Amino acid sequence: MTEPAENARHSPKAELLRTEHLTRHFKIGGALSRRTLHAVDDVNFAISEREIVALAGESGSGKSTIARVLARIYKPTSGEVYFEGKPLSGIRSRRDALRYSGLVPMVFQDPFASINPVFRIQHGVLRCLKLHRPELPAAQRPAEAARVFEVVGLDPSMLERFPYELSGGQRQRIGFAQALAMRPKLILADEPVSMLDVSIRIGLLNLMVKLRDEEGISILYITHDIASARYVADRLIVMYAGQIAETGPIEDVLTHPRHPYTQLLLSAVPDPRAPLSVAAETDRGEPPKVVDPAPGCRFRWRCPLAIDTCAQVTPELAELLPPAGGSGGGVPPGKHRHDVACHVAQTSAEEVKAFS
Amino acid sequence: MAMPVSGVPTQTPAAQAPTGSGHHALARIGRAVRSNRKATVGTVLLLIFILIALFPGVIAHDSPTQDAYAPQLGISTAHLLGTNHYGQDLFSQLVYGTRNVLIIAFVVGLATTGIAVLIGVAAAYLGGGWDGTLNVLTDVLLVIPLFPLLIIIAAYAHGGTTLVLIAAITLTSWSYTARQLRAQALTLRNRDFLAAARVRGERQLYIIMVEVIPTMTSLIVASFLTNALYAVLFASSLQFIGLGDPNTVSWGTTLYWAENNAALQTGEPLWAIAPGACIAVLGAAFALLNYAFDEIGNPALRPVRNPRSKRA
Amino acid sequence: MPELPLLEVTGLSVDYVLDQGSVRAVDDVSFTVDRGEFLGIVGESGCGKSTLLFAVAQLLSPPAVVAGGSVLFQGTNLVGLTDDQLSAVRWRDMSVVMQSAMNALNPVTSIGAQFKDAMRAHGKYSAEEITARSAEVLRMVGIDPVHLRSYPHQLSGGMRQRSMIAMALLFTPDLVIMDEPTSALDVVAQRSLMVQIKELQQTFGFAVIFVTHDMSLISHFSDRLMVMYAGQVDELGVTRQIFDKPLHPYTQGLLEAFPSIHGPRVPLKGIPGNPPSLASPPSGCRFHPRCPSAFDRCPAVTPDLYAVGGTLVRCLLHENGSPSR
Repeated sequence: MTEPAENARHSPKAELLRTEHLTRHFKIGGALSRRTLHAVDDVNFAISEREIVALAGESGSGKSTIARVLARIYKPTSGEVYFEGKPLSGIRSRRDALRYSGLVPMVFQDPFASINPVFRIQHGVLRCLKLHRPELPAAQRPAEAARVFEVVGLDPSMLERFPYELSGGQRQRIGFAQALAMRPKLILADEPVSMLDVSIRIGLLNLMVKLRDEEGISILYITHDIASARYVADRLIVMYAGQIAETGPIEDVLTHPRHPYTQLLLSAVPDPRAPLSVAAETDRGEPPKVVDPAPGCRFRWRCPLAIDTCAQVTPELAELLPPAGGSGGGVPPGKHRHDVACHVAQTSAEEVKAFS
Repeated sequence: MAMPVSGVPTQTPAAQAPTGSGHHALARIGRAVRSNRKATVGTVLLLIFILIALFPGVIAHDSPTQDAYAPQLGISTAHLLGTNHYGQDLFSQLVYGTRNVLIIAFVVGLATTGIAVLIGVAAAYLGGGWDGTLNVLTDVLLVIPLFPLLIIIAAYAHGGTTLVLIAAITLTSWSYTARQLRAQALTLRNRDFLAAARVRGERQLYIIMVEVIPTMTSLIVASFLTNALYAVLFASSLQFIGLGDPNTVSWGTTLYWAENNAALQTGEPLWAIAPGACIAVLGAAFALLNYAFDEIGNPALRPVRNPRSKRA
Repeated sequence: MPELPLLEVTGLSVDYVLDQGSVRAVDDVSFTVDRGEFLGIVGESGCGKSTLLFAVAQLLSPPAVVAGGSVLFQGTNLVGLTDDQLSAVRWRDMSVVMQSAMNALNPVTSIGAQFKDAMRAHGKYSAEEITARSAEVLRMVGIDPVHLRSYPHQLSGGMRQRSMIAMALLFTPDLVIMDEPTSALDVVAQRSLMVQIKELQQTFGFAVIFVTHDMSLISHFSDRLMVMYAGQVDELGVTRQIFDKPLHPYTQGLLEAFPSIHGPRVPLKGIPGNPPSLASPPSGCRFHPRCPSAFDRCPAVTPDLYAVGGTLVRCLLHENGSPSR
């Protein structure tokens, strides 16, 4: 991470996207037993320009659902999403919808399923250009397609090939190229490297950093791999069972994780250089499927620090008290807060360790 | 979340060979046909029949309907299959009859598959109420016993023309294929590349026509071949029991006349056997092409040649 | 007094026989597994590790065929045995855990029914014996036996994988082969499963061959490690030694491709380029086009496996049994 980039990230940036009380429920069960699956509950966060925000959590945490709501594949059950100050629910005409989908495109997880196998690679890119760059004459589209391919590190001759001739890593770059062709402001990247071999991931992670630094694009990086989140992201949002558990600047959250779930997630990351941690051996739990939930913290069954309040009151995301003996209250200007949704973490003055 | 993949191009045996457009595709199909034995045999047979249907006069020198010869002649160079009870040249009958059979096969094949694609894919993609309605329609026709229904329709049309035959068979055959295509379209519906198309702003109709249907070509072609095959069999059967127009020249009607005149018992066995053999061979051609298409599309089904036999 | 190794693979090669010629997916691979040993096999997708696994378990289907070499399991060569002969060994002495439980488990029958099938296939057992043993193996992997009645889709991903492992342990085999059993799981479930596998291994003493693309995952669990590239063994040795001092440039590249949670944030390069197509691998050393240490002899000479200390490495830099540059 270079010096100028570090400084640029700390100066105040315009806000691109904000969610307010975003909630998405699904109806499950047959006609006789209608129940509600709470995939996302009351989620509030914001993304500014030129930043990469990592949205981390396990399956069922709601992170993919959030991406799909932001991509307008789903409508929120309640709450609102604001892009550049305007609510998404206000998008009615096809023109507005098209404009939004060009500014906020999505990159999918599966490199083999996300490209139509019967067409050449250029098909998708050219369609993106046709739909979203009306000012570009048709004759110039192939040249522009070649240009975005070069930006993402692909040889333009691949435009003529078929998807089956390309590797997984190359196909994921195509996903980014298509997004780039639409001149986006925010890319929703839904686990873009999860299905790639570990040695190939670095190339794509570096590409994301390049897109932020050189093209000025923000990225919402959805993942379950904290280590890769640390490598690319400026801020981290940790989700559990549909709610935000902890959020803040990534280094803060990773060096001083306050929510027990964040600590668990960190302890489970395999790091060959570190000795095997004992804590992970004791956790056999799984994230719950949240159906018609009662109030209370959804992590309490797996949490070694749970107290009575945890079973009665759902914790709200609030700013952490500064640690005792710390540098006093207030957050340096331009820096984001470190928030946590945990009764124990919010009320104790020192850092408590649930999982080390 | 599934298996990770990496830098290796998927040129492994499991790779699907897609269809390209134009010149590139034709060349690949040509190569595929030549390399697969079943495809070669099937294609050659089908081409022979098509040629016969297109240029019957070139191959058979006699008119099929003119009873100009002495009846019940045996095989000779003048009459390759002899003559029938009425003194008509059997060989000419079969040659001229090919056109009728092939027209039925291709028209029914195309119509059935076309309707099935429209209804099946629309039902899968539109979902909800549309899916329900179309499903009811499909299922009703699916459950009705096919052959009795055909008989009734054909009987009501007073043993009508070839057109009636085609309409009747199409009406009763499309529902099976529609179910299959709907099932496959359903599996494709949640594929990421369709979500990607939606997210980049494509319209519904575009997605169905351009993104979904081309990925189903394998099944669509197989359906066409199957439906063509069954059209031949059903049409011939209907004609055989007298529900076709007995005055058209076709293999089924030849069989009808053979049966009427008790050909097998009266020493004219060829009259009955020859048209039957033609039906069988054409059916085999379609079936071979169907198998071959499966193997071309899915390399895992191809026969493996034992490598040890190659070593010295 | 050295004991006979449990599994001894010598010179194993596997070809895919295609219309346009054969492709060698596994090229002359040799390794041994002792009783109770945990061997990790690491490599990128397409390096042949899954094919190797299938070959060892005799599960290859056309167009893949064993083109040479032997697989000695407890002294018997498994290559060339008929299915009947193999069934004596299968599941009783050697079992396999597949990559994705959702693909390997039958979705329309309950877990208990599948356990019953497995047991019935390998011996005569009464219904009580089957139920008792099924409940026992489920408890071993930390699943409540009430789930014998559940269908695969009713279980979570982690539980499905653990029931696959339970099924593999029905007869407490001597060797359990695992093909990336954790790759479909989240990181917490992954860690939990690995710990479970290691515990079971230490309790029951079976050997494990664990194939993965993620080196860091097995760094704490495997005794020895084998790194594969383009169908060949590139490095084979004690795990800790390979992590502390990786000899092959490919292994070094792999180790450097992991972003770390701890320590300073540094930009990483990964390994440039892509693994080669096995149909036309590079001449000489297969890794040379991507190797930062390649020199003039690398494209010309195919390196053998050289012994450096206790580690075998396929790299010309170690030709003399010690770094030669």
